[in-house]
Amino acid sequence: MKDKRLFAFELVRGAAAILLALGVATVFIFLCSDEPLTALRYLLIGPLVSARGGFNTSGFYTILAAMIPTVFTGLATCVMFSANQFNLGGEGCVMLGGFVGALCGIYIQMNTGLHAVVCVVIAAAICGAVMLIPAVLKVKLGASEMVTSLMLNYIVMYVVLHFLNYTFADRSKGSTQTFPFAETAKIPALVPGGSKLTWGFVVALVFVVLVALFMYRTRWGYTIRMIGVNQSFAKYSGMQVGKTIVLSQVIGGVLSGLGGSIEVLGRFNTFLWKELPGYGWSGITIAILAKNNPAFVPLAAFFIAYLNKGCQLMATYCDVPSEMIDIIQAAIFLFFAAEQFLSGYRQKIVVRNAQADLKKLGDTVAAEGGQA
Amino acid sequence: MEQNENVVEMRGITKVYPNGIAANQSVDFFVRKGEIHALMGENGAGKSTLMKMLFGLEQPTSGAITVNGEKVSLTSPTVAISKGIGMVHQHFMLVPSLTVAENIVLGMPPKKGLFIDYKKAVEITEEYAQRYNLHVEPDAKVMDIPVGMKQKVEILKALVRGAKILILDEPTAVLTTQETGELFKELIHLKEQGYTIIFISHKLKEIKEITDRLTIMRAGKSMGVYNTADISEQEISRLMVGRDVVLSVEKDKAVPTDVVLKVNDIEYTNEWNKKMLDKISFSVRRGEILGIAGVEGNGQRELVDILFSLDAPDAGSATVLGQNILNTPQEKIRQMGVSLVPEDRMTFGIAGDGTIEENVISDRFAKKEFNKGPLFDMQAIHAESDRLIDEYTVLCKSSKQQVKMLSGGNIQKVVVAREFSSDPTLIIADQPTRGIDVGATEFIRKKLVELSRNGAAVLLVSADLNEVMELSDSLIVLYGGKIAAYFDDTSALDDEVMGEYMLGLKRQSTEEIGRVCHEG
Repeated sequence: MKDKRLFAFELVRGAAAILLALGVATVFIFLCSDEPLTALRYLLIGPLVSARGGFNTSGFYTILAAMIPTVFTGLATCVMFSANQFNLGGEGCVMLGGFVGALCGIYIQMNTGLHAVVCVVIAAAICGAVMLIPAVLKVKLGASEMVTSLMLNYIVMYVVLHFLNYTFADRSKGSTQTFPFAETAKIPALVPGGSKLTWGFVVALVFVVLVALFMYRTRWGYTIRMIGVNQSFAKYSGMQVGKTIVLSQVIGGVLSGLGGSIEVLGRFNTFLWKELPGYGWSGITIAILAKNNPAFVPLAAFFIAYLNKGCQLMATYCDVPSEMIDIIQAAIFLFFAAEQFLSGYRQKIVVRNAQADLKKLGDTVAAEGGQA
Repeated sequence: MEQNENVVEMRGITKVYPNGIAANQSVDFFVRKGEIHALMGENGAGKSTLMKMLFGLEQPTSGAITVNGEKVSLTSPTVAISKGIGMVHQHFMLVPSLTVAENIVLGMPPKKGLFIDYKKAVEITEEYAQRYNLHVEPDAKVMDIPVGMKQKVEILKALVRGAKILILDEPTAVLTTQETGELFKELIHLKEQGYTIIFISHKLKEIKEITDRLTIMRAGKSMGVYNTADISEQEISRLMVGRDVVLSVEKDKAVPTDVVLKVNDIEYTNEWNKKMLDKISFSVRRGEILGIAGVEGNGQRELVDILFSLDAPDAGSATVLGQNILNTPQEKIRQMGVSLVPEDRMTFGIAGDGTIEENVISDRFAKKEFNKGPLFDMQAIHAESDRLIDEYTVLCKSSKQQVKMLSGGNIQKVVVAREFSSDPTLIIADQPTRGIDVGATEFIRKKLVELSRNGAAVLLVSADLNEVMELSDSLIVLYGGKIAAYFDDTSALDDEVMGEYMLGLKRQSTEEIGRVCHEG
């Protein structure tokens, strides 16, 4: 009854925010492009509609492939933000995870199947351990995890670059990169035809289910959420607040590390990132769009991937800079974050529901002889 | 009573909050010039909401407000103040680190060049204090003055800003009997000078004593306006709750057995170097309710925080059945069978954004019976929350409703449902019925008695003198961080005597107080 309509309203509000943001984007496209209609076509339907007008299968696979790392970072952010931990270290963990995964793929020898799993697990474990730094600093010293994790990203990046440049670089190549991974370490493709859509996508979806279950169906997830809602309440109730805060960030690190290593082992042959890849930041956008609910992460990730692809096409085939996506994302953020957006209409629904409820409640109270 | 014109007219006021609560439905509220008008009702009846709209803190969803015959749109407190409306909130809105005079001129200070003219501020304060017979110390810091004086500062603040209509939100909730008497004299003095006073309360006796007329609210609706002289207390009570409430709790004589909680020489100094607890020792036995009476701020909060390890004492010990409970994780304290109904229920008692279900399982979710391997046993959890909602008559739509959507009384029922149902050995109930409706109050009091008679030790901390005297089997009075008195039998006590101990006028001998420490 009531809640259903409000839920529908939230969906409508989300859609309206996106539409308005696209509206803003349209204005900018018209301002800066000589062929705005073509540009818009690429942005809006380009990713899925081929030039000839048919369904663009490879475009679709590309989008799904692009979701792989961001689903993981989105989940990581959901877990950490649910505990009210504004840890922004996912970005660094993606890079570190990718690097560690790559090294394991190069220097460990194993059978097909097992090798990739081992690489990914080691990468995830190391990233989880790295997240202990902001987490423990927060719990023991009260240092803001937002600041420490943000700074940690750059420390991690330069440490990775140092080892890439001075220890593990393949000197025979023109640009800085590692030696190629063993074939056994690569994440196999899900569909034939050279797309980057790997089994990593399936793993990502499995993790969506696992994380959703973890957050809503286990005592640890429950503790994380209650700490996020009211930490004083959690402490008073006898929950292990400190340990759980650490746990949430370690899980964030593990998930980000998974995302980074699966991405690197699935998409490339060598490790060649020379700067932070940006998936951690996308993960934050996605978690906010999904309102920290893991179940909505794939949807949000799809949307962001679609938007990215559209902007890329627009930048490739038209005269619109790909930075356009930053403007669109900023606009979406603005409308989503604005709690008051359409709140007048929401209030109307609420009033109507409240009156109906009161009437019902009044009837039952009357029936029970006024007993409260 | 002379027939005056209405100074405030609120017509057909409806207010629906964004969370869906219809706090007011077509309420009419008229106040005459120069009267003391009571606004009565249980908690959640919509009194505060109505007054917030009159003070510009909330805007009505529909309806019209007229002040002094002029139709007004009170969009903010600033507008309300400019219309001559002042409000004294239940929780004082004062800056503790500033002096009384500074608080009074806050936001509108007299200036000398670029600087605040402090001398002028003191003069203003003294002038108003004289004129309205509200004695305060202009140079004292607000954090050092007693509650009664803080309230006077609040009233002065409103008067200095030109208020002719004063809204007092449960002004006596925090006062002692003596302070209340003083306040009433001052209010009558103000009334004689032509001020209009709206007095929010649910204490029947006070209303009868001081007000001219009263408006009763129930479940967001007005139940009518009455001349105070023409309506009986029983009638008011019936209109407020829709049935005759028995406010006294029946209980058989306590048969205390072995000692559960033993507190020894606890000392605590707060961050401003004030000694809040000075060698406090007492014990609570199975089967009895030990009350702690006292004016707020005499160490009760610190004591409770220490007993639940939310704070650490400077010295002393406390044990439950021989096991230390100081500086111990709450998880362990709870395992020992201690539960706490916290004073600040919104901060500690609940997770407002969580569902009722998530709130009632917060102390037991890790137990085997609610888990199947790594996963929650959702069926067991649903069953448990439904059982508790049922047993504690929490009025809600479902166990999936957010706790913050409930009324104050029902929120507290959620808290006690959790705290009372864990088979506790020791229950610390800190202000368990503050600010909640009569129905829930009665329910919680009965439960406390029932639990104690079934063998729990209960430590009841309450600033509500009636409550602590009514419920306790024996009681101690805290004054200035020390135990000022111990009564092993509460049946023969009267308010006056209690008031004297609570205000530090009297103090029992060490031997008398020492009787509260039982052996065993």
